[in-house]
Amino acid sequence: MGGVHPDDKKISRNCKLEALPLPPMVYISVSQHIGAPAKPIVAVGDKVKVGQPIAEPGGFVSAYIHSSVSGTVKSIAPGLDMQGNKQTYIGIQVEGDEWEENIDRSDTLVTDIPDDGKAMLEKVRLAGCVGLGGATFPAHVKFSLAPGKKCECLIINGCECEPYLTSDFRTLLEKGEQVVIGAAIEKQILGVDKCVFGIEDNKPEAIAHIAEVIEKLRKLSPKYEGISVMPLMKKYPEGGEKQLIDAVMHRQVKSGGLPIDVGAVVSNVCTALSVYEAVQKNKPVIDNSVTVTGDCLGEDNQHNFVVRVGTPLSFIIDHAGGVPQTASKAIAGGPMMGRPISNLDAPTVKGTGAILFLTREQTARRPQGNCIRCGRCASACPMGLEPFLLYRLGTHDMLDELEKNAVQDCIGCGCCLYSCPANIPLLDVINQAKAAVMGVMKARRAATKAAQTK
Amino acid sequence: MSSIVIWTIVVISVLGLILAAVLYLVAERFKVEEDPRIDEVEKTMPGANCGGCGYAGCHAFAVAAVQNGNLDKNYCPVGGNDVMKKVADILGYKVEEKAPMIAVVRCNGTCQFRPKVAEYDGYPSCKVKAATFSGDTLCAQGCLGCGDCVSACQFDAIHMNPETGLPEVDQSKCVACGACVKACPKHIIELRAKGPRGMRMFVSCMNQDKGPAAKKACAAACIGCGICEKTCRFGAITVTNNIAYIDFNKCKLCRECEAMCPTGAIHDVNFPIALDKAAVKARVMERQKKEREAAAAAKAAANESAASAETLSATN
Amino acid sequence: MNKLLVSPSPHIHADVSTKSLMRDVVIALAPAAIVSIVFYGWHELLVLAVSVLSCLLFEYLITRFMMKKPSTIGDFSAAVTGLLLGLNLPSTIPWWIVVIGALVAIGVAKMSFGGLGQNVFNPALVGRVFLLVSYPSAMTKWVMPQGLFGVDAVSGATPLGAIKEGLLAGQTVPQIMDANGYDYAQMLFANIGGTAGEVSAIALLLGFIYLLVRRVVKPYITLSIWGTVALVSLIFWLASPERFTDPAFNLLTGGMILGSCFMATDYVTSPMSVKGGIIFGIGIGFITLMIRYFGSYPEGMSFAILIMNAVVPLLNMWFHQKKYGRA
Repeated sequence: MGGVHPDDKKISRNCKLEALPLPPMVYISVSQHIGAPAKPIVAVGDKVKVGQPIAEPGGFVSAYIHSSVSGTVKSIAPGLDMQGNKQTYIGIQVEGDEWEENIDRSDTLVTDIPDDGKAMLEKVRLAGCVGLGGATFPAHVKFSLAPGKKCECLIINGCECEPYLTSDFRTLLEKGEQVVIGAAIEKQILGVDKCVFGIEDNKPEAIAHIAEVIEKLRKLSPKYEGISVMPLMKKYPEGGEKQLIDAVMHRQVKSGGLPIDVGAVVSNVCTALSVYEAVQKNKPVIDNSVTVTGDCLGEDNQHNFVVRVGTPLSFIIDHAGGVPQTASKAIAGGPMMGRPISNLDAPTVKGTGAILFLTREQTARRPQGNCIRCGRCASACPMGLEPFLLYRLGTHDMLDELEKNAVQDCIGCGCCLYSCPANIPLLDVINQAKAAVMGVMKARRAATKAAQTK
Repeated sequence: MSSIVIWTIVVISVLGLILAAVLYLVAERFKVEEDPRIDEVEKTMPGANCGGCGYAGCHAFAVAAVQNGNLDKNYCPVGGNDVMKKVADILGYKVEEKAPMIAVVRCNGTCQFRPKVAEYDGYPSCKVKAATFSGDTLCAQGCLGCGDCVSACQFDAIHMNPETGLPEVDQSKCVACGACVKACPKHIIELRAKGPRGMRMFVSCMNQDKGPAAKKACAAACIGCGICEKTCRFGAITVTNNIAYIDFNKCKLCRECEAMCPTGAIHDVNFPIALDKAAVKARVMERQKKEREAAAAAKAAANESAASAETLSATN
Repeated sequence: MNKLLVSPSPHIHADVSTKSLMRDVVIALAPAAIVSIVFYGWHELLVLAVSVLSCLLFEYLITRFMMKKPSTIGDFSAAVTGLLLGLNLPSTIPWWIVVIGALVAIGVAKMSFGGLGQNVFNPALVGRVFLLVSYPSAMTKWVMPQGLFGVDAVSGATPLGAIKEGLLAGQTVPQIMDANGYDYAQMLFANIGGTAGEVSAIALLLGFIYLLVRRVVKPYITLSIWGTVALVSLIFWLASPERFTDPAFNLLTGGMILGSCFMATDYVTSPMSVKGGIIFGIGIGFITLMIRYFGSYPEGMSFAILIMNAVVPLLNMWFHQKKYGRA
């Protein structure tokens, strides 16, 4: 169903993961995840070590945040994020690189998986693991299944279907063992027998490597049984949670439902890696892999960095040769769903997977024409919606009709706008309409709940 | 031949009678009994159906007015006191006079004062733009300039000025329905009292950044220095979150704050005589100097009396 | 580095535009146009040129001076309309009638609705039908193909016209076919009387395959028309071969190929959903055959498409594609 086939453009696919040097200052946001912002538990002037918790969850759906460097807390103040909006940041001046004692910094692979799922889940919670595929949903919340729900299949998302991005691919190639062990841990926590790695078939090396690793690990312990690799068709957005479940399990999540309703839990490759590090190495989420790419950067300046959380973007970009002259747009993430960056001094967060530079020719919106009713947006929509209709309804604020036509199901993948020959800003309007409809639905749910409790 | 004519006439007449009977019966069957006063009230309304009163339209307003039994929750900003008086007469209710309001754009960030640091390239709608990023200038609170307020206005009373990039309210057309206030994602439009002969003062800025940051973003920003607050003799100005706000119920239109404002963020409207900033400033400075001296003298006197009291007690 | 561009995602765009789609349609129609010029000579070239140029001119004049907007002739859509209109006219038609047809197509059928994408009816077909009812003799004066430099213009009837006349004269279908010496190979490769666009089925199909390969159009509307025509005419033909023509004849004659491949598949005037498109095609096929078999016009493709064009908004309202996770 639906989907588009943009040019792959994985220019940085052969660039090895490299650790970025420490920046002089890091600014760590307290809301790096979906849900309530974390509450700072350090004060200005405190000395912190790498891996020390500096903010605690501000609610159930929230996550721990750890210092990614060692040094002195200089500020806890509002700062600007990548889009220029205000967030609270904990600014830490870097002094040396002193880690918390219990963190195992060696490269030795710990293949023995403990039996106690509860204890491992607690470790995941304390390590501040969040979904690193982009949504940054707290991992421990996802892995704590609601009573009565049964997970039948854990899907590890290695699609990386966005053009340009290669950090998941490099992680699969270079840290395949850790990722597979992480997946086995998640499998153990969820109490599920089946685990499938969904990897797009434009990454044959990764598919082969993971298959090999699984084979190797299976000989060590029965806990690695039931893990397999499934090559998937290259298509955007194959890595969308709902699309991936459809592709792997041939089941569709009902509108407004969760993957667990059809027995699925989806976890990103990097999340599996962070779960491995949290459980086996006691290492919280303090760094993540960031692809720095773009045609205008030139071949030598493509990078896959491992970056400490809170490193300013400008520091990363300087290490990749600076902002190229011809670049006119910087994007946090891929070209289809990434958010535009208006503030290059903003720091990274856990979910930052890439910094992409595009030239004006590649990215500038083309002049808008009349809708010629070709229906390309509808056949491209992976959710089977009709963007042309939603656009028309959206420009007239017809919320009832919008809800009837399922605007709330939109996943914002951008296929409609990508494929529109008349360059109609379909997604821009649909996003607004979706927000409005979601607001109405939320208010209605609250009203019915209030009526019931009466 | 004639029989055809006669038949035609007969058939058409009978058909007409039957259909008329059907229409009458249907109209009787589905007749809705409505309080006749609702219709009467509705007729006095402006009929713009703008929703400025908080109801879905003029009919809904009339229904609510009749059913509520009073006019506490009903006020038509478009018709103003005249219409409300008529409504009150029809229904026999009392109505309070309200000061007429007008929409005021509280952003001073013209292209000249507020340099652009990014270039927006998406759908030209303030809502979409606000959801995408904080804005193409360094001011995160300022006008985005895509004109959502203009398209929200049913009275053709607000327009973008292409030179400044800011919307301007047409005072003769604005009826204070509040549609633009709701449309603006940055909440920079406010309904304020029109003031005597249309004269009013307001702080034309919403920037909540600290002084230097605000100044960097926009040369005409309110930097939250608090001079106006100190200048005001009527306690009409308060500074919260680095932004000054003039309470239009307390403001006496002396324009001293405007003269003292270092960035020109305070604006006056419809004053017949232009403000002589230097003169007013000198006057205020003079007054403040005197006040300081008086305060110092009073303090000195107090100190003295305290000291003398001390010496007195010491000698005792 | 200059100011950063900021816009909501997505940040890249497929290499497709209205212009590129319309250009593909022009390219797809080129073989048919060339073949018809080869068969009918310079007069056909004149008809096509006048048609395309006057469509472009009218669109330019209307957008610039009546709608006061930037001209839209650069998007090739007027050129497509002109080409389709030209291919729908007999080669003997006087040039001024072509200009009137272009005015109706662009002015009435397209721009009065608001321009590209807003029209309910296919502009080229509206132009053609307008001419057909206004200038019936000029619109039905056919000559046999005489070659590029041929001078001996032989007037003749189109196969469908011949059948209709023969049936009215009391002949049976096989008798008429024999009398005129029609055979299917001839029809497939050209050399039958008719409008320029009807001349060579092969050239038209070639263009259609190009559109399919370039993914400009989807095949379901066309296939559903063909399927309906084949099935319905098979039933009638089996019931009475004397009275009704057979499926192959119906598929190869008249505007069937041109209409089903290029006119019924017009984006603007065809349904958006697959289901709607199939029903649209069934309607066109059925109405065409009914007009051919029982109507007074020998050819019904244009009318059938226009009638079904009017149903498209309803089809769009009734039929939607399946949504993910919803019944």
